[in-house]
Amino acid sequence: MRLPLAVAILWGLMAAGAAAQTYSPQRPLPRTTSMPALRALATQREIEERFKLGIDAEARGDWTAAVAEFKRIVALNPPEPKGSTAHYDLAIAYANLARYDDAATELRAAIALDPAFLAAMANLVSVDLSRGDLGEARRIADRYITLDPESARALYSRGIVALRAGDAATAREDFGKLLRNNASYAVAHYDLALAEERLGHYESAERELRTALTLAPAYARARFALGVVLLREGEHGAARNEFKQATVDAAGDPALQNISAAARDSIPVP
Amino acid sequence: MSRTFVRPVLVAALLALLLICGRFAVAGAASLEDALTGALVPSAGPSLLGPITSAGRVGWECKPERSAASAGWHDAELPHTPFGP
Repeated sequence: MRLPLAVAILWGLMAAGAAAQTYSPQRPLPRTTSMPALRALATQREIEERFKLGIDAEARGDWTAAVAEFKRIVALNPPEPKGSTAHYDLAIAYANLARYDDAATELRAAIALDPAFLAAMANLVSVDLSRGDLGEARRIADRYITLDPESARALYSRGIVALRAGDAATAREDFGKLLRNNASYAVAHYDLALAEERLGHYESAERELRTALTLAPAYARARFALGVVLLREGEHGAARNEFKQATVDAAGDPALQNISAAARDSIPVP
Repeated sequence: MSRTFVRPVLVAALLALLLICGRFAVAGAASLEDALTGALVPSAGPSLLGPITSAGRVGWECKPERSAASAGWHDAELPHTPFGP
């Protein structure tokens, strides 16, 4: 009687052990008593925890809390890739607080640590556009395109920078290339049309705007631009019709609506 | 007042009026032209790409870096096509 009972208990214990899932500790326990090594481990742990807290803060839009976490990580001077990543994340928090100069400083630091960091370059161009620093935006956009000539964001970013800086030829080239891979992107057709219009290529501008409007019929800004291009081509009646439609489509944009109405009324009805 | 005196004064006044109207018309046309050119503004710049975890930018899991390198406008998180107001 004793022997079967002992066997049953033993079997039960073995089965329970096999069924139980074992978990490896998330972080290995430090196997050292050296003070510098223990301090380094504590710093490593602090960096990991602060990254989580900072990203959580950014997810809920608490940019001030995010700044505090990422600033502390930057001060701890972590090795790569954590160093450039902390600068990058800190820049996002600064930009959302409209501290664009600080954001640009952090993005420059991220790129200095990791010279092929495309997301940091993309964000630096956006931040520079907000700061109105077209010179740096152009330099970074040039570098971005050199590193990744097929990147849609690189082409779009440099195209916008070029248009704002009055370099219509570069804008024409970049939006044209962007459209080779993205023929259905109406926004790029509109910006290519602006470049063509500035270069005096009214027929090409008209074609691009008509394509944009085929893709997005209520695209009020494209409709208005088509009116301007038709006016330049001497097509006054057609231009008036486009301005009239733009006045309707621009219902959510009072400034565009007003200028469309003024343009419509300036052309006499035949 | 003699008729010979009235006539040149009237002609001069008419000429002055024409000149003023012409100047206003030219100024109006120029200001409208300026306003039209000024209203042809480029699209918005791209919005910021999102945060990156402590793992860094290298690897398939890093969405912002993938967006930065994507050849397609959708994945690149570029401004959306406006379909209306």
